[in-house]
Amino acid sequence: MGSIELYHYLVVGAVLFVLGLIGFMVRRNLILMFLCTELMFQGVALNFVAFSRYHFNPQGQSFVIFLLAVAAAEASLALGLVVYLYKNKATLDTEAWSQLQG
Amino acid sequence: MNLSMPLLVLTALGAVTVYLMLPRAKPSLVKVGGLLGALTLAGLFAYLASLFAHNNTEVSLPVYFYLFAGIAIASAIGVICHPKPVYSALYFVLLSLAGAGLYVLLLAEFVAVVLIIIYAGAILVTYVFVIMLASQEVGGRRAAEYDRFAADPLPAVFVGFLLIGTVLLATFPKPGESLVQVNNPDTKMVAYLENKYAAAGELMPAPQSGVLPTLPTAGMAQATTATANTVPGNIQVLGNSLYGKYLFSVELAGILLTISLVGAVMIARKRTAGVSVDSERTAPLNQ
Repeated sequence: MGSIELYHYLVVGAVLFVLGLIGFMVRRNLILMFLCTELMFQGVALNFVAFSRYHFNPQGQSFVIFLLAVAAAEASLALGLVVYLYKNKATLDTEAWSQLQG
Repeated sequence: MNLSMPLLVLTALGAVTVYLMLPRAKPSLVKVGGLLGALTLAGLFAYLASLFAHNNTEVSLPVYFYLFAGIAIASAIGVICHPKPVYSALYFVLLSLAGAGLYVLLLAEFVAVVLIIIYAGAILVTYVFVIMLASQEVGGRRAAEYDRFAADPLPAVFVGFLLIGTVLLATFPKPGESLVQVNNPDTKMVAYLENKYAAAGELMPAPQSGVLPTLPTAGMAQATTATANTVPGNIQVLGNSLYGKYLFSVELAGILLTISLVGAVMIARKRTAGVSVDSERTAPLNQ
C-alpha cells in the first residue's frame, strides 16, 4: 500500500477546502453557508497539522488552536446574527436579504 | 507516464460527482453521483498509493489514513449536498471525528481531542440548536424551498474544481521530477536538529518513533533541559510552544472569545416590547 506522505494530507486538506468553497457558493441557507466556512477551516487546519508533523515543529498545532478559537468566535457571532435576522423575516433564504445592500 | 493526466481525470470526475449530488429537482441523479463519487475516491486513493508504492518508510499506518480520509471527504460532500440542514450538521460531526482520527495519525493528540470537544461538542451543537430554532416545517417531511435547490451549481462547481486542479498540479511534482527528493524529511530533519542542538550547547534527545523531536528550548524552560535525555511528549511540546512563544497570542485569543461572547449576547437578546435599547441605556441618567 506504500507509505503515507505529506502529499496525502495536503490532497485531503485541499479537497475539504474546495468542497467548503463550493458549498458556500451553492447553498442558499444562511446557517449552511456558515457551516461551509467551518468546512474550509477544517481543510486549512489539516494542512497546518500535516506540515507541523513533517517539519517536526509544534507551531502548526499552536496555530490550529488559535484557528479553533477564531472559528468559535465566528460561529457565535454568526449564529447570533442569523437568529436576529430570522426573527425579522422568518426565513433563512439569502435571496430574502438581497436588498440589504447600501 | 505523465503524472498529471490521472489527476486531471480524477478532478473532472469529482466535479461531475459534486454537480450530480447537489440538491435539485430530480433526486434520481443523487444515486448516480454517489456511485461515481465512490469510484472517484477509490481512484484518487489508488493513485496516491501507487505514487509511493516503492517507498517503505513507515510514517503512519496507511489503512487508517485511507479510512479516515475517505470518511472525511464523503461526509464533506454530505455537508454541502444534503437538502436538510440538520443532516448537514450531523455530517459535519462525522467529518470532525474523522479529522480527529487523521490528527492522531499525525501525532497531534491534543489537537484531535480539542477538535472533538470544541467542534463536535460545542460548535456543532450550537449549529444544530439554531437550525432547529430557525426551521419552519411547512410541508411535513419536505425541506424548505431554499434548501431543495442549489443556487448556480454549474459555475460554482467549475470554479471550485478549477481551483483544486490548479492546486493539485502545482503541489505534485512535474512528470520528469522524482518523488523521492520531496519525501519524508526524517533523516534530513534529524541532521538539522543535531546542528541546532550543537549550536545551543544542549544534548539532543535520542529520536523516538511516535514522538515529535523538538528544537532546543535554549533556556526557555529549565524543566525540559533538566531532563535532556528523556524526550518530551507531544502535548508537552505543544504546551511549551503555546505558553512560551505564543503566550501573548493566547491572551489575545481569550479576549477575542470574550468580546464575541458579549457581542453575540447583545445581538441575540430579546428586546422587551416598548422598551428600546437606547432608552434602557439612558434610563439611569434620567433618574
